[in-house]
Amino acid sequence: MVEKGANIDLLFRNGLKDYEVLPPAEAWNAILPVIRKRQRPVIFLRSAALIAVLLSISFLAYKWSEQLSEPSDTQFLALDQAPAGSQGSSADPVLTRRPTAAKRQTTAIRNNLVQNLPASAKPASQSNPVQSDPDMITEPDYMNLRSDMMAPANIQTLKNTSFISGNEKTIYKDLYDYGIEEQEKKTDKWSLTAMASPTYYMRPELNNSEISNQIASSEQPKLSYSGGVGFSYKISKKLSIQSGLYYSSIGNQVDDIFSFAGFRPFDLSKGDHNFEVMTSSGKIYTENPDVFLIDMSGDRVMTKYTNDVFDPLKAKLSYVNNSLFQSFSYLELPVILRYKLIDKSIDFNLIGGLSYNLLVSNSVHTVIDGNKYNVGKTAGLNPFMVSSSLGMGMEYNISEKISLNLEPTFRYFINPFNNIQSFGSHPYSFGVFSGLSYKF
Amino acid sequence: MPEIKNIIKGCLAGNRRDQELLYRRHAARLYAVCLQYSGNDDEASDILQEGFIKIYENLIHYKHEGSFEGWMHRIVVNTALEKFRSKHNLYRVDDIDDIPEPDSAPETEDYSGLEAVDLLDIIRELPPKYRMVFNLFAIEGYSHKEISQMVNISEGTSKSNLSRARIILQKKVNLYTGLKKSVVNG
Repeated sequence: MVEKGANIDLLFRNGLKDYEVLPPAEAWNAILPVIRKRQRPVIFLRSAALIAVLLSISFLAYKWSEQLSEPSDTQFLALDQAPAGSQGSSADPVLTRRPTAAKRQTTAIRNNLVQNLPASAKPASQSNPVQSDPDMITEPDYMNLRSDMMAPANIQTLKNTSFISGNEKTIYKDLYDYGIEEQEKKTDKWSLTAMASPTYYMRPELNNSEISNQIASSEQPKLSYSGGVGFSYKISKKLSIQSGLYYSSIGNQVDDIFSFAGFRPFDLSKGDHNFEVMTSSGKIYTENPDVFLIDMSGDRVMTKYTNDVFDPLKAKLSYVNNSLFQSFSYLELPVILRYKLIDKSIDFNLIGGLSYNLLVSNSVHTVIDGNKYNVGKTAGLNPFMVSSSLGMGMEYNISEKISLNLEPTFRYFINPFNNIQSFGSHPYSFGVFSGLSYKF
Repeated sequence: MPEIKNIIKGCLAGNRRDQELLYRRHAARLYAVCLQYSGNDDEASDILQEGFIKIYENLIHYKHEGSFEGWMHRIVVNTALEKFRSKHNLYRVDDIDDIPEPDSAPETEDYSGLEAVDLLDIIRELPPKYRMVFNLFAIEGYSHKEISQMVNISEGTSKSNLSRARIILQKKVNLYTGLKKSVVNG
């Protein structure tokens, strides 16, 4: 019985091994929406994770930069910290009278410094009647000194003044910092930036018609890129405006449109516009008379060479691919405002503005053996588009003049890609721009 | 033709073309397995769809060790088993075993007229629990102990179901073989 059983087992095991039955055509159509639907949260989660990582990095970088910029000890006695028993008003730090022990030294330092300054920069206070009290630094003195020290040469003088020590640093540090700040205001107003970013474009859902759903489910954006050179001008310490010229390339893959080559001899009309394909970006018009297109899963292809008129397999056309690739290139002129939120060794900026995009290239191709095979163009595209952008920029100063930038940016197109009423979609994109800036 | 590794990578990246390519390459073989485990085409389609969805979802866990086809095959068989259990898990299968013991059938040695499609038809005519036990034991190679745990029956019931399945199959094979011969001989 065992042997008998084994025989029947073997009969079925061997007989059914490698047996194949084609599943019903609708099986794949039932699987596809489920896996696409489940992928969307994954894409969303990935984006959220990316943002979370960027925020974490930003926070850590901020903490780190905070640590770096923290003074190692309390360097100086602030001018408004009047010592006990001083006769000056504590409300007026400039007129604070120094302790007697330091008075002469202060005066000596001041005189020394003033002597080191060029004649033109020497404060007028030398002839000021208040000068008669050598122990007091008067407000006019202070102000004159401040203005004198704005000159770059004098800043250098201050830098080289090594005899300033102890509490006296307080006064001069304040003056020095003020001078440096004023000096910085005059320079580094402009910067030149070169940036590039991979960009991921997305489109919102189209309306719920059958053809719209079919179009949406059969298209997937390709990874695009954007890059260029910009310059920015510092309007104030916190705010700057940026513009420049960028080049961006956007790709879209249209699936389930089968293309065949070798159609030219069968093209009786000798036209170059034999096929139209509905896509979310607009209609693709074929320009290559050699190409034959057929939509295997819907009605997106419009042609007079329908299935009942022409069969590409019977005509022995060469199969090329089952996807079409739309490529669009734009020249961008951005006008971006940048607001500095945190000014540390790593700066954080809020970035927002508009970009004006001019369509410079529009092509549709398919791929055979890794080579592009031209198909045509997408018609009805808006030649001029406006996009808004919002981002968070991080700027790490490598040196005084050069900084490294990282800018995760979200962009939304204000006007649609095409003028077709039912398919006018406003795409949005996410990119992480990185590059270098040079201040001058 | 793209390698399976590249297709898996594409599927993991959400590339629709690779997802479809994976399906087109393996759907026919896996659908045959689904038919083998189900009594009707709708149920087989359901198993195929659920199985493929699990395959896509679990691709990230595939370690590239062993055959990928075998890995997919196991997922589809497990999906069929889950479907079977969901229909029959209200009570132990052996508790409702009221099908009378079939008479044993003489074994035919000449199966030459039988084709895979005939074998599939024969196996699908079995009662669900016999079909499940026979498939798991004779085709997949599981032991009665394993089957008892998988199907939630005792080992004795598994053996009994297998024995009954074999007798029914033998009878049907004889019948098919006889019919085929009579058709061939005119």
